[in-house]
Amino acid sequence: MDFDFSSEQYMFRESIRGFLEESYDLKKVSALMAGEGRDPRLWSKLAELGCFSMLVPEEHGGLGLSFVDLALVIEEFGRALVPAPVVETIVSTDAVARFGTEAQKAQLLPSIAEGKLTMVPAIAEAEAGFSPDDIAMTAEVAGNGWSVSGRKILVPHAKTADVLLVATRFGTDGKLGLVLCEPSRSGVSLRRHEAFDPAGRFYEVSFDRVRIVRDEILGGDPSGRSVERLLDASGAAAAMLMTGVAGKMLDRSIDYAAQRIQFDKPIGSFQAIKHKCADMAVAIEASQSAAYYAAWALAEEAPELTKAVSIAKSFCGDTARQVCNEGIQIHGGIGFTWELGLHLYLRRAKVLEYSYGDAAYHRERVLASALAEIQRRA
Amino acid sequence: MDFAYSAEDLKFRDDLRRWLTANLPAGWGRTVFEPKDEDERARFRLDWEKKLFKGGWNGIAWPKQYGGRGATLIEQGIFAEEMARARAPEGLNIIGRNLTGSTLLHHGTEAQKQRFLPKILSGEEVWCQGFSEPNAGSDLASVKCQAARDGDHFVVNGQKIWTSFAQYAQWCILLARTDPSLPKHKGISFLLVDMKTPGITIRPLRQISGESEFNESFFDDVRVPAQNLVGELNGGWKIAMTTLAYERGPEDALGRQIRFKLELDQLLETASTLKRGGKAAIDDPVLRQKLAKSVVEIELMRLNCLRSFSKSLKGEPPGPSASMLKLYWSHVTQSMYETALETLGPLAPLGEGDSLSPADGRFQLSFLQSRAFTIYSGSSEIQRNIIAERVLGLPK
Repeated sequence: MDFDFSSEQYMFRESIRGFLEESYDLKKVSALMAGEGRDPRLWSKLAELGCFSMLVPEEHGGLGLSFVDLALVIEEFGRALVPAPVVETIVSTDAVARFGTEAQKAQLLPSIAEGKLTMVPAIAEAEAGFSPDDIAMTAEVAGNGWSVSGRKILVPHAKTADVLLVATRFGTDGKLGLVLCEPSRSGVSLRRHEAFDPAGRFYEVSFDRVRIVRDEILGGDPSGRSVERLLDASGAAAAMLMTGVAGKMLDRSIDYAAQRIQFDKPIGSFQAIKHKCADMAVAIEASQSAAYYAAWALAEEAPELTKAVSIAKSFCGDTARQVCNEGIQIHGGIGFTWELGLHLYLRRAKVLEYSYGDAAYHRERVLASALAEIQRRA
Repeated sequence: MDFAYSAEDLKFRDDLRRWLTANLPAGWGRTVFEPKDEDERARFRLDWEKKLFKGGWNGIAWPKQYGGRGATLIEQGIFAEEMARARAPEGLNIIGRNLTGSTLLHHGTEAQKQRFLPKILSGEEVWCQGFSEPNAGSDLASVKCQAARDGDHFVVNGQKIWTSFAQYAQWCILLARTDPSLPKHKGISFLLVDMKTPGITIRPLRQISGESEFNESFFDDVRVPAQNLVGELNGGWKIAMTTLAYERGPEDALGRQIRFKLELDQLLETASTLKRGGKAAIDDPVLRQKLAKSVVEIELMRLNCLRSFSKSLKGEPPGPSASMLKLYWSHVTQSMYETALETLGPLAPLGEGDSLSPADGRFQLSFLQSRAFTIYSGSSEIQRNIIAERVLGLPK
């Protein structure tokens, strides 16, 4: 029984944090608001540190590690507001490594490990809720392949991604599966969203009779489990990111409260501020418990995986909401300025809160599994 | 990260389960419960504690030489879980076992350990805690109860309050002022007081829940032998902090978590069977969200404890982070009991003993009891100060 990380895992976190604090500050994040929002130097340095090879099995040139090894790293990405396709590529790697055919793995995984390939999930639809049951995009049988039509929204960095992992239904029985598709494919068109997080890049991706063949379906045949796994891993990763965002927001609030003088005293000496900070710290502590446990459940494919992910996604979302709001409140007027940059944490957290299922959606999943457990025991 | 237990740990769990099955009354926790009368219940709990001792299960964490079995931290965790899972009675000597014992093991003299520890485990001597006073609650260091030196005795005069189990206790851990001229944290001593000493009066206090677990106690020229001083004269504050860390830490919280989880499961079952407007209460989407929130929060209480345990296993001392555990669980469980009453809806005003009260009014009683969670062993406001100053480093 050990619910803690190894000293190697902590050491790796330190090296990631050290690198990010040194070379990736809020100015860099703000610079990404222009252009396509990609920082090639950041990408190659993270590749050099091994971030993209962690989930790639050794036989495909990776390190063969798990989400437990990644949990603290992804939390750091949240703290530093590392831009979107980094974590999306890592999460997609998990789906390819678990569900891909041998050919798909051989084709994609070595390039991912080297940091040369970006892959992002395309799941959300404008008229869907958060459940995969709501996915309406459909691939119709056409000749010896399929023809895909429909529209995805909020696909991060779709324009510069090498491969999209598109969740769609297949044929008349409507089975769900994932399709590997380049954004440059004929019939695919992109429209950049006006987005809540100016440091993010999100696209509406429309498919108009896009032809795909069997080899482009992840695993060769449609697999609902691959969609569920991608959603669970994405949701858990979002929980880890939000925990990082909240942790950074608390640290900044504590630093500010310790040096900001009002009424001749640091405001951090006032209980009204102290008690907010204590509540934020307790919420973050519990968020870490939730996010790390979800990482373990993903790594082990534990029977309680769904419940663990939903606990993490709902609780960490609520925590990020509380901590970002209170952090800005503690900073007062200066916290409301664009220039200080706290809004970037707030906006990133907000986007994550509503990605891959919001808190209410995940709480409903938690309750369903708790009721099922009770029935099983009865 | 690894949630599996070793073969030895699993055997420990098995042995304990077998012992519990053999020693708890048949139907325990389902059809057979503790006596409702408080005095009878106290006797029942003490008998249970003596039974535990005979089975070798009392004070398992203590060293063998003082009657314990030197259990590992993991075994302590398993013990807490299994006792809670079997809904085993909590025992009467909670303060003796968890607070006096832990404190004496750290700060007691060898003679004190040999004199007091074995009788705590055997159930021969029950303890109470004389810390709070009417004017020393959250500001515990302002205690006024005096202990003046008179030859080889201290003479104690003053009043204590919220003295749980004082009416059943033979002994008391007492914080008393031994030097009023020193700054308030530095003039306090930690004494062991025989409750049979002349001059002690106990008056029960009735609580919100209607029960009378705690008391006011009055000390009027009570003579305490000087050898019953723990640690140094005027060094009692630091010792009291050790006591409080044990009261707030994961050793305490893990077992509580299982008991809350059992209550929550019972609540979900009640919500599933309770009819309201032609449907089950559980079909209300607003209620579902609230119940789910409690499922999440109670599960995280367990995970917080396990993380804290894992850090202790690596040698991190128990300290101010215990306040984070306690602040968390006290609030999430209060909110669970609020949701419990919302689940009962129109039936919520019915009390224990009414034939229409779902689950025989247990949720109403638990709701009332839960109001104490954010007050005892340091109010939430005090926990927040500790976290802000000693964990987060904010200025005083």
